[in-house]
Amino acid sequence: MQITLDHVTHTYQPGSPFQSTALEDVSLTIRPGEFLALIGHTGSGKSTLAQHINGLLQPTSGRVLMDGQDIHEKGFDKKVVRRSVGLVFQYPEHQLFEETVARDVAFGPRNLGLPADEIDGRVREALKKVGLTQAGIEEKSPFELSGGQMRRVAIAGVLAMRPDMLVLDEPAAGLDPQSREDMLQLIAQLHAQGATIVMISHSMDDVARFATRAVVMEHGRITMEGTPEEIFRHAERLESMGLDVPSVCRLGIQLRQMGVNCPDSVFREEQAVQALLDLWKEGKPHGHA
Amino acid sequence: MADAIIQVDHVSFSYEEDAATAVRDVSLTVPRGEFHAILGQNGSGKSTLAKLINGLYLPTEGKVTVCGMDTQGEKDTWEIRRRAGMVFQNPDNQLVATVVEDDVAFGLENIGVPSQDMPARIEKALRDVGMEAFAGRAPHTLSGGQKQRVAIAGVLAMEPDAIIFDESTAMLDPRGRREVMDAVQRLNREQGITVLWITHFMEEAVAADRVHVMHDGQIVMSGTPREVFSDAERLAAYRLDVPPMARIAQALRQKGMPIADGVLTVSDMAKEVARLCK
Amino acid sequence: MAMRDITLGQYYPADSAVHRLDPRVKILLLIGLIVAIFMARNLVAFIPVVLFLILATVLSQVPVRLMIKGIKPLRFILVLTFLLNLFFLPGETPLWDVGFAVIKKEALLTAILYSFRLVLLVMGSSLLTLTTPPIVLTDGLERLLSPLKVIHFPAHEMAMMMSIALRFIPTLLEEADKIMKAQTARGADFESGNLLKRARAMVPLLVPLFVSAFRRAGDLAMAMEARCYHGGEGRTRLRVLRISDGDVAACVLMAALIFCVVACNSLHLY
Repeated sequence: MQITLDHVTHTYQPGSPFQSTALEDVSLTIRPGEFLALIGHTGSGKSTLAQHINGLLQPTSGRVLMDGQDIHEKGFDKKVVRRSVGLVFQYPEHQLFEETVARDVAFGPRNLGLPADEIDGRVREALKKVGLTQAGIEEKSPFELSGGQMRRVAIAGVLAMRPDMLVLDEPAAGLDPQSREDMLQLIAQLHAQGATIVMISHSMDDVARFATRAVVMEHGRITMEGTPEEIFRHAERLESMGLDVPSVCRLGIQLRQMGVNCPDSVFREEQAVQALLDLWKEGKPHGHA
Repeated sequence: MADAIIQVDHVSFSYEEDAATAVRDVSLTVPRGEFHAILGQNGSGKSTLAKLINGLYLPTEGKVTVCGMDTQGEKDTWEIRRRAGMVFQNPDNQLVATVVEDDVAFGLENIGVPSQDMPARIEKALRDVGMEAFAGRAPHTLSGGQKQRVAIAGVLAMEPDAIIFDESTAMLDPRGRREVMDAVQRLNREQGITVLWITHFMEEAVAADRVHVMHDGQIVMSGTPREVFSDAERLAAYRLDVPPMARIAQALRQKGMPIADGVLTVSDMAKEVARLCK
Repeated sequence: MAMRDITLGQYYPADSAVHRLDPRVKILLLIGLIVAIFMARNLVAFIPVVLFLILATVLSQVPVRLMIKGIKPLRFILVLTFLLNLFFLPGETPLWDVGFAVIKKEALLTAILYSFRLVLLVMGSSLLTLTTPPIVLTDGLERLLSPLKVIHFPAHEMAMMMSIALRFIPTLLEEADKIMKAQTARGADFESGNLLKRARAMVPLLVPLFVSAFRRAGDLAMAMEARCYHGGEGRTRLRVLRISDGDVAACVLMAALIFCVVACNSLHLY
């Protein structure tokens, strides 16, 4: 399944004094199987864009296509998009409402009108995918769980609809370092199992580690697009937009300014370790002996 | 210790219903004008400790003194809260009024500052956090970082000796975090306001005078950032991270590259690499 | 679902004579106006009331468009009460036979009178909210009611609650919007089905909203305590309220209005 945004513009409250354009002429194709990172400040239009991907918001102008078909055309069943594209909002644990974890995860499949045994199967599968396998957890109240666990329940609720694509709005926000890392590993694992991932993130280190492609947004427009390597090669440009760059990129920039020949293709930690070792070995007088 | 603003002496505290977030036999001294950071994962007891210092909770054992006043003594409660103000995590849930300047006034009204003295104090507090242009705005129209700075102004207007920040940047985006961090560091440097900064972001603790690591209700490590962050293995055991540069330094050392101890920041690392490679 | 579109606390910022009036005086003026509106028993007696409102609106610099907008949501109630009064009130002089009922002259006059009262009431109250920021209004209310503290009326607590509610309404609306979207993304349907089905569809929205409101309330209580809040006792206020010449003039004008209404009533005109 492939989603394409075709010259999408979105204006909030058009015609009122509060009118504001959140997206302006955005064209983007999300390719099956990729891990796409959406980067930009709060208010740059990332979240608005994310809500167009599954048809929650309708473009003021332009089209959103699912496998070539306009999802806002008359006769197109929006439920098809909602089922294929799972949207995980920021702090998704705030949307939990059922008495038990299992019932909450079952909410989506129930809305799809699936038979009871199919729903049960999907709930178990989704909880397993997010790593909530402790005995008896299905029957617990979601409100008794820790923050990190609640977030997993919420994500399981989206996974239970078996989406092909998962759109996550800052899935690691507000978590402590260990829960953060667990969450990112979970997403990486879902990606490895074949899901297309679109992740909004403020952490460039995370983008550097996981994304296969990144899109940078500013004032409702896409300003940069490419592999993390291509994006982070222009670290200065990101910084001029007031965005962070991975700390490894900052190290590279400083080293080059100091006359050390660190390659600008380095943006991940393990690459940095290798590059610095190479530099050091080259520099050592007996290194070439 | 006349100059200890905050003194926590063998303090224990536990909730009846929630033993996980208890504090066990914690001792801590924050001298006037210093910037101390407390690191710990969720549930390590760090937020409970913050509330003990502000007198929102009272210790079941031990003693907490703020500017020489015991939090146990009821008569000093309001003076303690004025002198050691507190900024919380969620920017939406700590502003009371529908207008920024009225919110900053809230604390002043509570402690009975005469009406005619308020405008000047409000204006100064808002200026100190760079929010003077927003005095007439409604809080819900502000960004997260701006709301937190208004919350800081609300505390500042009460002319405190210390401010306790309980994960005040956890819900902000990088820009908001930077705004708040910059404002707090400026207050610490220029006005000598003592800061107790509770966080789980390592990079925010790098610039502190001292770092205390909490785990399971206890302070398990204390020292300068360099001392604390050089022990990556122990931090990992407490489910904490180390700054990326410390991690890279560690990996390089393991591969035989003689990176000096105490590398924490990008510029530390750049200098060290330049030294070794030139 | 544009819940955020609702504009709240419809304050119109300006620096007019009406804006500058003491909020306590403005609340009293509104009460005076309501009394005058209900005292007026014939159409002539409404003339001074209308003149007063026109004068107040002109002085307030509030665009007439905004005043009229305030009546719009009431149009159905207006039409309904008008028709009910028209058809069902007793009277002696038949005017027009519409088949199922006979419209009588007295009923028509009373129907016009009642509709007129409603419109004037709404316009008067809109003028108060349009010219007074909510925070000032709650301040004024608190101080007007504070003498009642002697009989243990919680004037301060009430005003504090109103002000906190005003502060959190936009936040909770935004949150409701977000939760609704999140549940829609999970296939929830808030828009179709019969009344019962729709009511049940609200559960996934209302439960998280209540949970969040309680969490916020807990946080806020903690934050208020940390900022030395301990009730209304010994509290000073940022805003000092002072009665000015304008306030006195406005009160004199109101007294004159009530006198005129009484005078017109006694003329026994229509």
